[in-house]
Amino acid sequence: MHLPEIDKFAHLKSFLHSWDPRVKIISISILILSIVLLQDLRVAFLGLALVIILVFLSKIPFSFVFVHLKWVLFFVLALFVVISLTVPGSLLVRLSFLSISQEGVKLSLLISLRAISAALLIFPMIGTTRFNLTLKALQKIKIPDKLIQLLMFTYRYIFLFLDEEKRILIGANSRGWVRKTNLSSLKTMGNLVGMLLVHSFERTERIRDAMVSRGYNGRLKILDEFTLSPKDFIKASLIIALALLLNLSRWMR
Amino acid sequence: MKKIIRVRNLDYIYPDGTKAIKGIDLDIFNHESVGLIGPNGAGKSTLLLHLNGILKGRQGSVEILGMKVEEKNLIKIRQKVAIVFQQPDDQLFMPTVFDDVAFGPINAGYSKEKVREEVKEALKEVRMENYEKRCSHHLSFGEKKRISLATVLSMQPEVLILDEPTSNLDPRARRHLMKLLKNLTLTKIVAGHDLELILETCQRVILLDEGKIVANGGAKKILSNKSLVESHGLEVPLSLKHR
Repeated sequence: MHLPEIDKFAHLKSFLHSWDPRVKIISISILILSIVLLQDLRVAFLGLALVIILVFLSKIPFSFVFVHLKWVLFFVLALFVVISLTVPGSLLVRLSFLSISQEGVKLSLLISLRAISAALLIFPMIGTTRFNLTLKALQKIKIPDKLIQLLMFTYRYIFLFLDEEKRILIGANSRGWVRKTNLSSLKTMGNLVGMLLVHSFERTERIRDAMVSRGYNGRLKILDEFTLSPKDFIKASLIIALALLLNLSRWMR
Repeated sequence: MKKIIRVRNLDYIYPDGTKAIKGIDLDIFNHESVGLIGPNGAGKSTLLLHLNGILKGRQGSVEILGMKVEEKNLIKIRQKVAIVFQQPDDQLFMPTVFDDVAFGPINAGYSKEKVREEVKEALKEVRMENYEKRCSHHLSFGEKKRISLATVLSMQPEVLILDEPTSNLDPRARRHLMKLLKNLTLTKIVAGHDLELILETCQRVILLDEGKIVANGGAKKILSNKSLVESHGLEVPLSLKHR
């Protein structure tokens, strides 16, 4: 079964892998923010090119990136179509009753470029560190504890959830059920999803018992293993400088 | 012998109205190994959850090492009484083996060095020394069981409670676990249906049915009593049948 492991390539060696996760998360988050604030289409293209270079330097295979990015791309494509067709402006193409404006295409292109760049940056940011270290880094940079626990349990139990889903589907298929788009099939799907939720709820109670029995009191305590070096700050300076440079043209206007 | 666990007149009713435990009296002594047996729904797991303060009885009292199981003593009691749950996936909730084994010691307020030392020691005890950085979801079921045991041994408990420790294990993993349990000298309570395991690792057996203790005595004596065990949905272990 395909497992959604974002940190599959965290064992590789690159300047992004050796970067302190705390500084890396903060620096790349600043770069993401700077990219989503871009207003100029040419600079957005430049931003995307820089992001692709960063992904390349992270040594994470592009095939892996694309597999995980495809859902974002579907979403961006839908957005692209809707914005192109709905933003008024000078006419570019008319297809029957649909008209596409120049302004619409420019705006949808800009939004798409920003969204793809931001999504791509997740890979050098999260994919170059083991997920448990990413969580520890998030805790160190004072991300709310509840959010970290949510992320941690989602990541830990998504594999079990998928296993459980597979078992339930096998159980249904073995009794002749076939997934179709009719009402009866949808009803069965609804029941299967309901059973998955019931199982998950029961599991959460058992996990809570296991946590409480080992002294858990609502706050997650983890040992950190981080040490900062001058190299971490040099890398951070480079990324933040890039983030500022991308927005320079906007400020100089 | 020093009394470690003292339960008096314990009653527990689940929110849906099911009476799970009815007036249980129980004493467990230092370094004893006690098997808790009974059919499904007898109240074994419910009783075990009271010994660590996860469940609180409607009436009656539970004392661990002279401390009443109540809010103000819970932190200390949970360090002294460790439970290994039936499903290792419920016990291993952290991203890596190290984090899971360190979870208890960190909550107990140990220093960083002490936490690392305890994790190392606990993993050594279950013979999983090189697994610190592994993710729990990549382990086999037998490995998960052993790591589950390490997650509580790292807290240096005085009482070890195991709920169905050998369920779903293949014979080799079961043998490994059995050997591990026999080598642990702390006070143990082993609940389950694996009567061979209980016969081999426990000196005393408590038979529970419908929330009540129906027999309490030497393991061999109780487990070889055919009419007693069969009337409560169990069977005499094979090794005792063939004697």
